[in-house]
Amino acid sequence: QAPKVLKMQSAWPSSNVWQEMAQDYVTRVEAMSGGRLKIDLLPAGAVVGAFQVLDAVNDGLLDIGHDVPVYWYGKHKAASLFGTGPVFGGSATTMMNWFYEGGGKALYDELTQDIMGLDIDGYMAFPMPAQPFGWFKNPVSSVAELQGFKYRTVGLAADLMAKLGMSVAQLPGGEIVPAMERGVIDAFEFNNPSSDRDFGAQDVAKNYLLASYHQASESFEFLFNGLLMEDLEPDLKAILIHGVEAVSTANVAKAARRYSADLKWLEEEAGVNIVRTSDEILAAQIAAWDELIPELEADPYMKKCLDSQRAWVKDVVFYELMNAPDYGLAYNHYFPDRLKL
Amino acid sequence: MTDPQIALFMLGLFIVFVFLGFPIAFTLMAMGIGFGYYAYFDTRRMWRSYDRLDADTASWWDQTSAWWEGLFNSRIFDLFVNQTYNVMSNEVLTAVPLFLFMGYIVERANIVNRLFDTLNIASRRMPGSMGVAALITCALFATATGIVGAVVTLMGLLALPAMLKARYDPSFASGIICAGGTLGILIPPSIMLIVYAAASNVSIVRLYAGALLPGLTLTGLYLAYVIGRSILQPSVAPRPTKDEVPDVPAAKLLWMVITSFVPLAFLILSVLGSILFGLATPTEAASIGALGGILLAFLYRAMTWQRMRESVYLTLRTTAMVCWLFVGSYTFSSVFSYLGGEHVISEFVQSLNLTPLMFLILAQVIIFLLGWPLEWSEIIIIFVPIFLPLLVIFEIDPLFFGVLVALNLQTSFLTPPMAMSAYYLKGIAPPEVKLTQIFAGCLPFLGCVFIAMILMYVFPQIVFYLPSQFYGN
Amino acid sequence: MYSYIRFADAVSAWFGKTFAWLIVLMSFGTGYEVFVRYVLNSPTAWALDMSFIMYGTLFMMGGAYTLSRRGHVRGDFLYRLWSTRWQARVDLVLYILFFFPGVLALIFAGWKYAARSWQYGEVSVSSPAGIPIYQFKTVIVVAGVLLFIQGIAEVFRCIHCIRTGEWLEADEDVFETEDLLMQQASKAEKDAHS
Ligand code: NA
Ligand code: NA
Repeated sequence: QAPKVLKMQSAWPSSNVWQEMAQDYVTRVEAMSGGRLKIDLLPAGAVVGAFQVLDAVNDGLLDIGHDVPVYWYGKHKAASLFGTGPVFGGSATTMMNWFYEGGGKALYDELTQDIMGLDIDGYMAFPMPAQPFGWFKNPVSSVAELQGFKYRTVGLAADLMAKLGMSVAQLPGGEIVPAMERGVIDAFEFNNPSSDRDFGAQDVAKNYLLASYHQASESFEFLFNGLLMEDLEPDLKAILIHGVEAVSTANVAKAARRYSADLKWLEEEAGVNIVRTSDEILAAQIAAWDELIPELEADPYMKKCLDSQRAWVKDVVFYELMNAPDYGLAYNHYFPDRLKL
Repeated sequence: MTDPQIALFMLGLFIVFVFLGFPIAFTLMAMGIGFGYYAYFDTRRMWRSYDRLDADTASWWDQTSAWWEGLFNSRIFDLFVNQTYNVMSNEVLTAVPLFLFMGYIVERANIVNRLFDTLNIASRRMPGSMGVAALITCALFATATGIVGAVVTLMGLLALPAMLKARYDPSFASGIICAGGTLGILIPPSIMLIVYAAASNVSIVRLYAGALLPGLTLTGLYLAYVIGRSILQPSVAPRPTKDEVPDVPAAKLLWMVITSFVPLAFLILSVLGSILFGLATPTEAASIGALGGILLAFLYRAMTWQRMRESVYLTLRTTAMVCWLFVGSYTFSSVFSYLGGEHVISEFVQSLNLTPLMFLILAQVIIFLLGWPLEWSEIIIIFVPIFLPLLVIFEIDPLFFGVLVALNLQTSFLTPPMAMSAYYLKGIAPPEVKLTQIFAGCLPFLGCVFIAMILMYVFPQIVFYLPSQFYGN
Repeated sequence: MYSYIRFADAVSAWFGKTFAWLIVLMSFGTGYEVFVRYVLNSPTAWALDMSFIMYGTLFMMGGAYTLSRRGHVRGDFLYRLWSTRWQARVDLVLYILFFFPGVLALIFAGWKYAARSWQYGEVSVSSPAGIPIYQFKTVIVVAGVLLFIQGIAEVFRCIHCIRTGEWLEADEDVFETEDLLMQQASKAEKDAHS
C-alpha cells in the first residue's frame, strides 16, 4: 500500500535550526507509522508565507502547520496568550504543562474552533528557553536609551515594547536581518542563539542582551487540518498527535546542546558582546505588563484565559520554587567565574 | 503522466501560450488555476457536503446544488487568493510605485535638454565629445528615472538630431542613445533590481550595493568604446564646429553645471546613499526621491497640473502591470512546485553533470535568448525563479547571479525582434535613419555587455566588494 | 454594446484614477515617517502598514484601468504581425478561457477570504498599532468585480474588431512620454507627405 503523503509547512527558512526541529517530528512520525505516513516538509514561503500558515491549514492547502500561535495574533489577540502572554512567574515548561494539564487545550480549542470557527486541531511542543531581549547596535542599559528604537518582536511583546517607548515592527523570522540591512528596524529579538546565528544576526548588530520578560513562555504550535484528522485511521491520527509529545523532548534536548554551543560561538568567534539585560529594563517590563493586563482583560475570553493561567502558575510554581534547590549555587561552586550577572 | 511530468507540460504549454499575445498576467493566472485544479483535486474533500446528503430524503434541488458546490470547492481558489494577498502585502514591492512616481516626475521636469547642453559644452574638447555627452546624459537621466522608453525618445529627439547635424555616423549615434538609455534599469536605484529582490528574496540593499560597481563598469566600457572608436575612426564622430557647440566662459559653464547636473546628481546620490548607508529603507528613500523630484520640477518651473496627473496615472498603470504579473506568477509557481516541477528540473540539471561555470553560461545563454522575444519584467518574474533553486546545487550566490542577469537583460532592449530601445528610437528618429542602422549601432554595445559579464566572472570582487564593505558577509 | 464599452471604460478609469492618487499620499506619508523617525527620533507605529496597504490597494484597483488601456504586458512579437481580425479572434477565445475563470475566483474566493477577515476583525500583524486589514482584503473582491466589468467590455471589443477589422481604443488622456513623442513624430511625417 502506498504511503499517505502529507504536506507540512513551517514558518521558518530552511537554513534555520527550527526547520531541523520540525524535521525531527517528520522523522519520528514516519518511523512510528511503519511507512504508512510520509510527510513532505516545506520551509516558509513554499506554499504560503510564514504569517499565513494558519489560514493555509484551515483551507487544507497544508495538512500540517508548524509555527507559533503569536504569528496569527492579528486574527485574535488571545493567540498571544498561548506562548507570549504575561509572565506570572512560570516558565515555558509551566505554560506547556498548563496547556496539557491545566485546561489550556480546552481554552485553545474554544478560541480556534468556537470563537474563530477554524477547522483545525492544534497542539503545543517544545517549551522554549526564555527569549533574549535581543540584538542592538549599541549597548543599552536604561529605558531612556530605548526611546525611538524601531524594534522587531511579535505578539503581545510588541504591545509591551511599545509601552517601553519603542516603535515596534512585527516581521517573520526570515525577514529580520534583511530588514536590519534595509533600515526598516534598528534592533530586534527573534528567539535563541542558534536561530539568531542562522539568520546572521551577528553581522548586523554586536550587542546581545540576554534575559527578558517579553516572551519567557513560548512553545511551538502544531496545526492539523480538521478534515485530515477526521478521515485518518485512528492509529495514524494518534501517531500524529502523540508524535508532538515525542518531538517535544527531542527538541528540548537539541536546544540545550545547540543553543549553548552557539551562544559560545557568538561570544568567542563572532565577537558579540553578550550581557544580561539591566534590572532597570527588566523591572520596567514587569511594570509594562501591569499596565497591559487590565487592557487585555477587557475581553471576556482573554480574562477567562488569564485567570486560568494565573491560577495554574500560582499553585504550580509555588511547589516548584519552594522545592527547587538553588542551582546557581551549585553551578558557581563548580564553575566559578563563568557567570557574569 | 506523473505529476512532475504534468508540471513540465504546464511550463511548456505556458511558453506556447505566451506567444499567443494574451496579457501574460492573466495567462499565468489561468494556467495556475487550471493545473492547480488538477493538483488539488480531491473528491472526498470537494464533495463532502454532497456525500453527506441523504440520497433518499434530500430534494433533487439540494443534491444538484450540493454537487455543483462541490465542483467549485477546490483549494486552488484559496491558494490563488492567498498568493494575491502575498503580493499585496509584499513590503519590498512597496518601493516600486514610489520609484516609478519619482521617475515619471523627473522625466517631466524639463531637465534633459539642460543636462545635454551642459555636458556637450563641458566635453567639447574630447574625441567623440557629443557621443560622450549623450551617453553620460542618458546614463544619469536613466538612473534618475529608471524608465527606458522616455530616456531613449527624449534623447532621440534632442541628441540624435544634434549629432546627425554634426555629421556623426547615424548608426554610431543611435547605438549610443539606445544603449545609454537602457543603463537606468541596471544602475541602482532600479525597479528591475527591486523586482529581482522580490522574486529571489535576495536583500534589496545588498543587491543595490552589488550592482553599483558593475553598472559603473558597464558605463565605463561604453564610454571607452565611444571614445576609442572616435579616435580610431574620426569620421564617425567629427569634432563639432563653433556653431554647433559654442564656447562659453568658464563661469557660465560652471553655472550651467550647478543648475543642471548638480541637482539631478544630488537627488540620485541622496536616494542611493541613504539606502546603502542604511539611513532609510528603499521605500522611504523612494518617497524622498519622489518628493525631491516634485521640488526639482517646481524649481525648473516644469510642474503643471497636467504633468502631475500624467505622472500619477502612469505610475498606477506601470505598477499594476508589474504587480499583476507577480499575482499570476506566484500562483503559477506554487502550483508548479506543488506538482514537483521544481524538483524534476533540478534532478535533470544535476544529471547533466555540469560544472558551475557551464551551468552559469547555460543559464545566461537561456536568459539572453529569452531577451529576444520577451521583456525584462516577464523574464525576471517568471523565468528567473526557475533557475534560483538550482543556484544552491552549483553554489552560486543568488546576489551574483542577479547582477549577471541584470547586466544580461540590458541586451533584451537591443536585440530584435523585441528591441524596445531601437523601436522607440526608430519611432521618433528622422526617416532616413533605418532600423537596420540602429541595430548595427547597438551591436558593439552588446559586445561591451558580454565583456562586462566576463569581467564580473573573472573578478567577482566587482560585485561583492561594496556589499561586504557595507553589510559584512 | 458600444455604450457598455464606454461605461466599463469610464468605471475602470474612474476607480483607477481615483486610487492612483494614493501614490501622492504614500509619498507624503512615507516622507512624514522619515521626518519623525530620523529627525525627531519618534517613529510612527503605522508607517509599515500604511505603505503596504496603499501600495496593494493602488495596484489592485488599477488592474481594470490598465486592462482597458492595454497596459498589461503581452508577449506580442508574433501577435503584432497578425491581422487585427485574427488578434481579436484569439483574444476572444482567451478572454473566455483564461481571463474569466481567474477573475471569478478572485471575486468568490476573495469574498470568502475577506468575509473571514471581517469576522475576526482582523488587524495587521506588522505593528501593534492594530491597523485593520479586513477592508484591505476586501480590495481583492472589488478588484475582481472591476476586472469582470472591464473583461466583458474587452469581449465586446473583440467582437467589434472581428466584425469591422478595427480595434476600438479607449479614450486616452495620458501617454507614456515615448508613445506621445512617437505619435507626434509619425503625425509630422504624415503631414510632410500630404
Ligand atoms: Na521572540
Ligand atoms: Na529583445
